Amino acid sequence: MSKQEGNSSAISGVVLNIQRYCSHDGPGIRTNVFLKGCSLRCKWCGNPESIAFKPELSYDPKKCTGKAACGACLKPPFPEGAFYVVDGADDKVHVNWDLAGDCDEEMVSLCPTGALEMFGKRMTVDEVLDEVEKDSSFYRSTGGGMTLSGGECLLQPDFSAALLKGAHERGINTAIETACNVPWKNVEQVLPHVDTMLHDHKLTDAERHKKWAGVGNKRILENFKKAYETFPDIDFIARTPLIPGINADEEHIRAVLEFIRPHKNVIDYELLPYHRFGLGKYLSLGVVYELDDYKTPSDDLVKHLQAIIDEAFGRTGQEAPLK
Amino acid sequence: MKERGRADSKRRIAIMVGAGHVPGINAVIMGAAMAADKLGWEMVGIRDGFDGLLHPERYSDGGLVTLSQELIENLDPAAAGLLGQAPRVDPFHVRTVNDDDMVEEVDMSGVLVKKLQAEKIDGLIAVVGGRGLSILYKLHRKGLNVVCVPRSIENEIASTMVSFGFNSALSFTIELLDRVHQAARAARKIAVVEVLGEQAGWLALQAGIAVCADAVLIPEIPCDLKAVASKLRDRVTTSRPYGLVVVAEGARFVEDSQPQAKPSSLKASLSPLATGDASDHVIRRSGQAAETVANGLQLLLAQETMPLVMGPWVRGGAPTAVDRQLAVAYGVGAVQAVEAGNYGSMVAFVPPNVTFVPLAEAINKVRTVPANSEFMKIANSLGIFLGREL
Repeated sequence: MSKQEGNSSAISGVVLNIQRYCSHDGPGIRTNVFLKGCSLRCKWCGNPESIAFKPELSYDPKKCTGKAACGACLKPPFPEGAFYVVDGADDKVHVNWDLAGDCDEEMVSLCPTGALEMFGKRMTVDEVLDEVEKDSSFYRSTGGGMTLSGGECLLQPDFSAALLKGAHERGINTAIETACNVPWKNVEQVLPHVDTMLHDHKLTDAERHKKWAGVGNKRILENFKKAYETFPDIDFIARTPLIPGINADEEHIRAVLEFIRPHKNVIDYELLPYHRFGLGKYLSLGVVYELDDYKTPSDDLVKHLQAIIDEAFGRTGQEAPLK
Repeated sequence: MKERGRADSKRRIAIMVGAGHVPGINAVIMGAAMAADKLGWEMVGIRDGFDGLLHPERYSDGGLVTLSQELIENLDPAAAGLLGQAPRVDPFHVRTVNDDDMVEEVDMSGVLVKKLQAEKIDGLIAVVGGRGLSILYKLHRKGLNVVCVPRSIENEIASTMVSFGFNSALSFTIELLDRVHQAARAARKIAVVEVLGEQAGWLALQAGIAVCADAVLIPEIPCDLKAVASKLRDRVTTSRPYGLVVVAEGARFVEDSQPQAKPSSLKASLSPLATGDASDHVIRRSGQAAETVANGLQLLLAQETMPLVMGPWVRGGAPTAVDRQLAVAYGVGAVQAVEAGNYGSMVAFVPPNVTFVPLAEAINKVRTVPANSEFMKIANSLGIFLGREL
């Protein structure tokens, strides 16, 4: 018996955030549950606060009242040198991210203004589902439900499986959003409780995948194929974060279509035009943003690539010319 | 690493270089190796940050280079760094792919300290920038005998009057700005040139003064683009139909002065934290400042603007005479610190002396351009606008 089949309320996981009223990650109106921990390092990552497994420090200087009015973090128990003030009129605290990594939840609770917070907290299955269930009426009227996202939700397989199973037991539709760079046993454990699986085809070439996401894509593609074949009742939706200069080209889109089209349970392929939405979060985490010089794909390019997908899925409309 | 405290006996010293090239690195290595040799010590260099020690299997020579007198005498102080560099130098977070083919960051600081012990290294000289100082301080607290040499393009390291690398970058920036000035004149446009300077505006200000730019925008003075446009209207005339604005990459803007980015559909797929605002812990992409200023000014002025980004390649090339002397002196100073057992310190140039500052005092300080700086007064006297009325 796998762990999730026991007492699900005893299982807990690290949750980054619960976002209600979402409409882009599965059918209907949904509640997205973002889990922490990822096994890829995509240079364009929009959720950098979800990469580490552990809860981690974040800092919002707008909430800091400064050394004179507060100064709590400049004293023990905060680590020596982790916070400091620069000479000048502005006495707001700065963070030395190399020395502040040891700050824990207890220390952060000593910040009276909330400028210091932890990204992520441990929650039980019931705590998450009680929150998700608040919008049940929306799910019923729109065909929506709960989507597990991340990070990589398949890296917490016991927790994810228990959440999804619990959601089903409460009559809530389930979806996951995954890159699938995990051992097959994780996939196999979670998918029996999934109605829709949104999965990322970031790059088709293994070497280029390794360059931009940290590891090759051999296992990812094997997992996708095996998932299509093992779970014929799941609706699979392929997705590509579209980034000019990396994968926003016909060759990639056609390669993905060639991969997914033989599988009739892959019901759609969505494009997600890249935007630098992660940048603010990189700043509040003190992490260097690695993708510097890429811009949002043009509307014309997105329309052109979307038309190729529409044609492959037999939808109306002609391939838009690329201007 | 246990401090041996045997100034009179033979020691084995290692030297490593942090991420990012700065002109003059070979000169530091040369100065340190020659000073060590004079004391009868053996000096080795670690390849590519700490990689030569942490991953010796990647190197045919095992990752450590013996800095013999013969090697040093044939070392070109103007050439690229002998030891190479790694893109990241943080042994507390070494990115690896585990046996399960998953990427993770691993703390290898303990391994590093043990490997240095195994190699019988008495002390480590680390040639690092501002962030590297914090990492080396953390390693020192873990028991590593370390002396740091400050290197910086921005010259923002506070406890020394000047880091090596700055003067070379300044010279090259001035040369490029001269060329841009001529190009802007010929094209009858306003050139907006972004130069390095995330936290401190020394490079932009000193280079801007040297070429008599029309405006210089630095992180220390949040700029009002409307005021910049107003000044440029006075300076860019029919008889002088061109202009030059120098902007540091960390330039800031007064409220409502910076154009807002448009939202996109990917936002819906991100966590709600994705809407978080940028903090003043500044990490910006290269080119953003030039683009923002050029686009903003073009909306306010009749003239066409021309954004250009000098970018990181000003880090390359040979060191100037000033940097070469400074780098050799820093290398010698580091060996003197080791000889004195002055570990956990940074070599500093406080004219006329080369001295040592405890790392605990060197970190967490940024040397910005003060409001009463002579350079600001000179800029004002030249009519160079500094982003807003002072």
